[in-house]
Amino acid sequence: MIAADIIKTPRLRLRRPEPSDLPAYAAYCASPRSAFVRGPFSPAESFDKFAAMLGHWQLRGFGRYTVTLQGRPIGHAGPLQTEEGNPPELTWTLWDGDAEGHGYATEAAKAVRDHFFDVLGWPLLVILVQPDNHGSMAIAERLGATLTTLPAPDWYPGCLTYHLTRGTM
Amino acid sequence: MTSIPTLTTARLTLRGLQAEDFGPVAEFYSSDRARFVGGPVSEDMAWRILAGEIGHWTLRGFGRWAAEETATGKLAGVIGPWFPQDWPEPEIGWDLMNGFEGLGYATEAARAALDYAFDTLGWRTAISLTAPGNTGSENVAKRLGAQRDGAFEHDRYGRMLVWRHSGPEARV
Repeated sequence: MIAADIIKTPRLRLRRPEPSDLPAYAAYCASPRSAFVRGPFSPAESFDKFAAMLGHWQLRGFGRYTVTLQGRPIGHAGPLQTEEGNPPELTWTLWDGDAEGHGYATEAAKAVRDHFFDVLGWPLLVILVQPDNHGSMAIAERLGATLTTLPAPDWYPGCLTYHLTRGTM
Repeated sequence: MTSIPTLTTARLTLRGLQAEDFGPVAEFYSSDRARFVGGPVSEDMAWRILAGEIGHWTLRGFGRWAAEETATGKLAGVIGPWFPQDWPEPEIGWDLMNGFEGLGYATEAARAALDYAFDTLGWRTAISLTAPGNTGSENVAKRLGAQRDGAFEHDRYGRMLVWRHSGPEARV
């Protein structure tokens, strides 16, 4: 199963991450915007995390996309699966605060959802959100996800788990 | 994405890491033997580390190989040039998977990695880092002819000893 290298939306182009994205990604990791994902992170931690994002594609044949707006990387969106038996997690993040409030995260996450459900036939994506991250909770609901009572994974304590299933949007 | 070259030594095949390597990598990182490399860590973290090894190739154009025991196809180690963001300078790193200690594999693979670093990557010098108390790894450094060259304090991993290898001019 190989995911598309590029997904286009009306305003955005999602492509596989490239080394040239690292400065923008590291700037996001160093900012308070990464607090919802256990940040902020040092440049060294950002390098390690970005390397893992790149390697994910080679290990799984899919991964998180860099979201670009007119050629500029503004965030990432896509499925993350570190444990083989677990359903992949749909993730999205805008790296740049200026990109917020335009619906870009929703647009990117919807396009990813549609590709993995409609083209690749996946049955389920989970969405993990911290309970005080109201922006992401709103996006999860806009995507058609349902809040579950499942416990948070060990590596992401306190988070809420949503399920997004094919055919229920 | 960088295509990862394959090298061979007398007993090992150095190739790109792949999904099938996760079993032994996870076993190593969950064991007490990983205490010298920031472990033991959870399976989730071990997978991220494996993915990071592959991504390092893309970011740097070089990275560590899966050192496969050619005769059996088993993963014996993860060995090669390594330069994450906060390293003092590029190093030759080696981690032997559980059960592959004492066979000379780290030395054998690190020699090939040093040749690759000098001949192909054009490095003018190379170090290796060992955690204090990791005598097995120190012995590999000594067997490779490296000399102690100070220490390095890492933000997350703490103090590491620096070993400097002979440069390319000393290798004929």
